[in-house]
Amino acid sequence: MPFLRRVVWIALACGAAICLGAIAFSRGERINSLWLVAAAACTYLTGYRFYGKFIAARVMALDDRRATPAERLENGHDFVPTNKWILFGHHFAAIAGPGPLVGPVIAAQFGYLPGTLWIIIGAVLAGAVQDFVVLFASMRRDGKSLGQMAREEIGKVGGFVALITVLMIMIVLLAVVALVVVNALVGSPWGTFTIAATMPVAVFMGLYLRYWRPGKVLECSAIGFLLVLASVFGGQWVAGSSFAPIFTLSAMTLAIAIIIYGFLASALPVWLLLAPRDYLSTFVKLGVIGMLAIGIFVVRPDLQMPAISRFVDGTGPVLAGKIFPFCFITIACGAVSGFHALISSGTTPKMIMRETHATQIGYGSMLLEGFVAIMAMIAACSLDPGVYFAVNSPAGIVGKTADAAVKTISGWGFPVTVQQMADMAHHAGEVTLFGRTGGAPSLALGMAHIFARGGGGDAVLGFWYHFAIMFEALFILTIIDAGTRVGRFMLQDLLGHVWKPLGRTSWMPGVLGASAFIVIGWGYFLIQGVRDPLGGINSLWPLFGIANQLLAAVALSVTTTILLKMHGPKLMWITCIPLVGLVVVTFAAAYQKIWSPIPRIGFLSQAAQLEAMGSASAGVRAQIFNNRLDAVVCGTFMLLVAIILLDSLRLWFGIIWGTADRRVAESPFVATQLNPEEA
Amino acid sequence: MALLRRIAAGVLELLREIGDENAYARHLAAHGVPASPAEWRKFSDERFRAKYQRAKCC
Repeated sequence: MPFLRRVVWIALACGAAICLGAIAFSRGERINSLWLVAAAACTYLTGYRFYGKFIAARVMALDDRRATPAERLENGHDFVPTNKWILFGHHFAAIAGPGPLVGPVIAAQFGYLPGTLWIIIGAVLAGAVQDFVVLFASMRRDGKSLGQMAREEIGKVGGFVALITVLMIMIVLLAVVALVVVNALVGSPWGTFTIAATMPVAVFMGLYLRYWRPGKVLECSAIGFLLVLASVFGGQWVAGSSFAPIFTLSAMTLAIAIIIYGFLASALPVWLLLAPRDYLSTFVKLGVIGMLAIGIFVVRPDLQMPAISRFVDGTGPVLAGKIFPFCFITIACGAVSGFHALISSGTTPKMIMRETHATQIGYGSMLLEGFVAIMAMIAACSLDPGVYFAVNSPAGIVGKTADAAVKTISGWGFPVTVQQMADMAHHAGEVTLFGRTGGAPSLALGMAHIFARGGGGDAVLGFWYHFAIMFEALFILTIIDAGTRVGRFMLQDLLGHVWKPLGRTSWMPGVLGASAFIVIGWGYFLIQGVRDPLGGINSLWPLFGIANQLLAAVALSVTTTILLKMHGPKLMWITCIPLVGLVVVTFAAAYQKIWSPIPRIGFLSQAAQLEAMGSASAGVRAQIFNNRLDAVVCGTFMLLVAIILLDSLRLWFGIIWGTADRRVAESPFVATQLNPEEA
Repeated sequence: MALLRRIAAGVLELLREIGDENAYARHLAAHGVPASPAEWRKFSDERFRAKYQRAKCC
């Protein structure tokens, strides 16, 4: 390495250490958000250059002379050699969902430090490694999916269990993201009108693209964006008009509306609603993330939240549970996400032009996602902590009236007043901001403050708040309709083994039945969340976090098996260490969620407490049943993943002792015909 | 200025890829047919069928 370059990398590594030290040891005084940005940037660059490249060179031995599936199997559809920067953007757009935005906002209750450290370190050592190795493994196996690789490398049991695990996780995921939207829109005519208006806009886009200007996706999306922008302004007018009561909906009404929407969207032709909404939401998502990055650099807000809050002791109002293990499962996708393994073994490996591009696309995209999580953390922590807790704490914890809430929150050492919250709500164009749990409203508020400070001040806060809500709800609803559809396909795939017609995606009774089953599945958990006096997020977000991280454990089991077969035990630590970490964290969290004697944490103890109160009302009976159901779901996740882990361990010891087959299922080497310039 | 132009071209290319416009162009080239409403419908039906059988990320 040339001397000057070596100096630059040493400076970056020192920069990372200094910035991490500054945010870790700063106490009692506010620090600027750029410290977090610099710490993440320096660490990610250093991690990418040294750890990512080490894995690429020493572990995977990426070889540009080897033709990738995109070249060998090119068909113009799935298998297409693609420019690395375009594929990087494509892959990033596919992995960036609501998780890295909402998770850090919820984890901000522990203070900015724990979540930030986990996002920075977890992304480099676990998340990016998982995405990269899965991408590599799939690329060397003609773009096979995680389930197929599990079946081939570990065995039939692993493959089948992986499919069931993904289906169950999908149901919990859809429920929790739907709950985030419900909590963002409850009692908000401006927000509800804006989101409702996106549906006819999407249908208009679908018709435009299908019949009037076929193939003009960018043109159509630009028109759609202008219409959605108009709906944000329209929402402001509606909120001040006599139509406001029509769009002022309760949480239960919103939940039912979203359930009906999910069913219809999964049964309607894809081109009419789902596809145009997906195009639009992807463009808006990338644009808003870019805007937030620029906003943070321009405004450079100070962090108002302390480095470590009193709620590391497990008494947090947003989510109950101690910093270990709950901070790790709350951050979820910002540091490591099992769902990324599905993307890394989906479209992307079929489009990589050269093997060495996998480092930038697999490892680099996850680091960028970590950066998005850091920005979400900054947006949440730049709010006044009193306001943050007033927005994110359910009435069941802080009290049902504004006076009770501010008294409780101020008593925790985070002063806030009724007048302050009223002013904030007035500027944001809302009736109230108390008890808006779920993370989306406080993220929108933080983003709106950053954008408004960039120009316009309080006068434009309402617009930016609802613009941010629109951005969050738009792509969450896309996840709901696409997820319901995908869940239906998975279920039909499974049921087809029982009775063949059920597996046919063209048989209408099978389609409707499977769609209804999936919608009822996530809809049940959504209603449960809406009825939960603790706000729903307290139960459902940990369930989702545990499930998502357990899926990562499945992916890391598969990749550890592959590395063990490739190199023997000497390099398996690369995926095995994150695997052990995730297993410890998720099993500890799942165990506590089931068995903790503290009712706010343990599902069973909460059920027992409710039972001991002796109330025979239907609502309480339903709560008792739901808590027990959540415990069963949590236990099932643990059991399924334990089966895969035990199956993997059996194979690993077999390989190490020489009694099991060590052959990897890679495609044979074929020399590339591409010119070096084509890369 | 040249750098800015290159970045803008790259961003546009990315948006065209995400928006499936590039995939449509490849489809037309591979089948040797001109763009038409019927061809777009054929292409998009096939593409959406494959696209929405895969999980979306959280």
